[in-house]
Amino acid sequence: MISLTDFLVVSAVLFCVGLYMIVSKQNAIQVLIGIELMLNGAILNMVAFSKYDRINNGGQMFALFAIVLAAATTAVALAIILNVYKQYKTIDPGSINKLGD
Amino acid sequence: MNNFLQAIDTLTIKFTLAAVLLPLLAFLINLVIPGKHNKITGWVSTLAILFSCVLSATIFSKVWNTGHLVHQQFAWFTVGETQAYVGVLLNNLSVLMLLLVNLIALPVHIYSMAYMKDDAGYNRYFSFLSFFCFSMLALVVVDNLVLFYIAWELVGFSSYLLIGFWFSRHKAVQANKKAFIMNRIGDIGLLTAILIIYATFHTFDINILFGDHSIIKAITVYNRGEWYSPLTGSFTIPGVSYHLDDIWQFVAFIGIFLAVAAKSAQFPLHTWLPDAMEGPTSVSALIHAATMVAAGVFLLGRVYPMFNGIELNILAIVGCFTAFMAATVALTQNDLKRILAYSTISQLGYMVMAMGIGAYSSSLFHLVTHAFFKCLLFLVAGIVIHQMAHIRDDNKLDIDPQNIQNMGGLRKKMPLTFIAALIGGLALIGLPFTSGYLSKDGILIQAFQWSQGKGWLFMLIPAFAILTTWLTAFYVIRLITKVFFGDLKLRERFPNIKLHIGDGGWRYAVPLLFLAAGSLFPVFSFNPFSYEHSWLYHGMFQTGATAGEGLFHVIVPVGVNIFSVLVIYAAYRIYAKQKTNPFSQTSMLYRLSANEWYFDEIYKKYIVVPVLAMGRATFRLDRRVIDGFIHSVAYAGMALAKAAMWTDRYIIDGFLNLIVAVVQSIGNFARRFQGGKVQYYIYSMLVVILVIFILTTLI
Repeated sequence: MISLTDFLVVSAVLFCVGLYMIVSKQNAIQVLIGIELMLNGAILNMVAFSKYDRINNGGQMFALFAIVLAAATTAVALAIILNVYKQYKTIDPGSINKLGD
Repeated sequence: MNNFLQAIDTLTIKFTLAAVLLPLLAFLINLVIPGKHNKITGWVSTLAILFSCVLSATIFSKVWNTGHLVHQQFAWFTVGETQAYVGVLLNNLSVLMLLLVNLIALPVHIYSMAYMKDDAGYNRYFSFLSFFCFSMLALVVVDNLVLFYIAWELVGFSSYLLIGFWFSRHKAVQANKKAFIMNRIGDIGLLTAILIIYATFHTFDINILFGDHSIIKAITVYNRGEWYSPLTGSFTIPGVSYHLDDIWQFVAFIGIFLAVAAKSAQFPLHTWLPDAMEGPTSVSALIHAATMVAAGVFLLGRVYPMFNGIELNILAIVGCFTAFMAATVALTQNDLKRILAYSTISQLGYMVMAMGIGAYSSSLFHLVTHAFFKCLLFLVAGIVIHQMAHIRDDNKLDIDPQNIQNMGGLRKKMPLTFIAALIGGLALIGLPFTSGYLSKDGILIQAFQWSQGKGWLFMLIPAFAILTTWLTAFYVIRLITKVFFGDLKLRERFPNIKLHIGDGGWRYAVPLLFLAAGSLFPVFSFNPFSYEHSWLYHGMFQTGATAGEGLFHVIVPVGVNIFSVLVIYAAYRIYAKQKTNPFSQTSMLYRLSANEWYFDEIYKKYIVVPVLAMGRATFRLDRRVIDGFIHSVAYAGMALAKAAMWTDRYIIDGFLNLIVAVVQSIGNFARRFQGGKVQYYIYSMLVVILVIFILTTLI
């Protein structure tokens, strides 16, 4: 029997792996993948907790919304990355430091 | 009539101004004439003095014995309530001096053109000489004490310039410094006296102070000794009284006396005059024999009414002592000019003594006659010295041209000079038929009259005066015999020397003849035996009684002159043998005389050395104490400043630097988070959230 805890552990692992990727990767695509991983960790949380709402299935509905939104954000993010590459000839977020003082 | 007189006065004043200012003009012209040895300068100065001489003769003929006083003045400046004037005062005394100075200066100028012709400083010489003439002429005609003091200083200054004319000689520099310093002592005295007189009477005007109807005369006639004004006298304002304490009156007298002693070389300030002989001989003749040294006696004549009996006695004693002392010194000197210098001091002593005994007119009479014969003797000395220097240069000898021990026999080579010297010498002794007889006779007779009935102590003054006359006879004959008689002493030491000497040209001869004529009796009196018949004696105001004059009038001159002739004969016999030193050189009296009574040594030991020591002591005080104090204050200030600097640097600056460092480190720490790396932002955000979470969990 798979308990709620197992789901939560998997989602936490996913979140942490995503967070690690965001902080450490040298490639904007990989960072984007990290974001997706974190998002999926969060969605898994919502699906897992929806067992307490069997009537409306609010958790699952919300997860579907989030997946759609994640697809949209990924599209936008990819467009941004493309533009960034055009501008800087690199997609290493460490080298794009024009925000610095 | 009055207007007419006024017009003549104006003309006279103009003439006087011209006479005084012509030498000044010559001085200014000579300053701008280029070169150092330009013959024009001599002519400029001589012509100026010639015109001045003619003018002063005109003035003399207009003012002398007319009983009319020419006095004109213009406002000069105002101090407080006192108006100072600049003006000219011509009375018998000033016109006489005006003429005398010019008459002496003219031959000296002519003589100087020859005497100085080879000197490198020819231009400078005549500039200075003209400047001196201007100062001296101004001195005799000015009408108030301020101008008198200015002229007095200028005379002293030009004398200083001329004594130090050959300023490359060390001795000349020493001599002019000495003369200047000694004269400063007198100047201080004169200034003090002027200030006291001014403080009492509130005027500088010589005529108001000392003239015929003057304040001082009114006072002194009324009550001698106490200066309290009666309400008479045309210059005293009724109701105004002048009061002067005896003590201040005496201080004023001492001031005047110092001034006279310094200028006229009286004891105790006489020692500068012999040294002043370092100047050119023509200068000695004009300034240090005839004119400038007479300025002191002239001053006495100007302020004569202010002295009381005691002060006149002091003058008499000092004058008599100076006359005697200088005569004894002159006996043993070997320097030709030094003998004459001491004889000048001696004769000036006579004049001061005559002032003291009340023989006012005789004193001034002697001043005039002395000017002629002493100037003559100096010019003779100048010629002799020049010729001796010629012998020295021609034969390349190493001798002192002024030493009379080297001379002798010059009579044959220089007959005119010899005759001039003889006339001058006899006039100096005061033998009959010379002018010196007339004036000296007057002084001696009046000295006897003055001492009569005053006690034996007062008899010493005429006694010493007569003794001085005999001493004068002795040293004059010694001088003339050694220089002009016998054979040239140099031949004994240098048998092969050649002599090319003579009387010199007309520029030497004319002044000698002129002055020699002025040393004879007809110029002053047609009666060669009676000074009272002299026009000059009558021109001056008369003082003293005439009682008993008849007796003295016969005894004194006859006795004095008979003994003088004996002295002359004795001196001639002693020195005609041409022994170098006929007297013992070791006796005390000889040493006293040869060392000039040790005055220089005494002054050096008791005045110069202590003054120098005091100067050094004050210098040390200044250096050690005052400078030390100032230095320690400076050090304290510097130490304080250093402490303040330390505080500033390490405490105040340190505090600020600390704040800066803290702020900087915080800033540096904070800006690390703003590096522009997006991932770093996220990472730091994560860390902060984690920290907050951990903290909240712990709390």
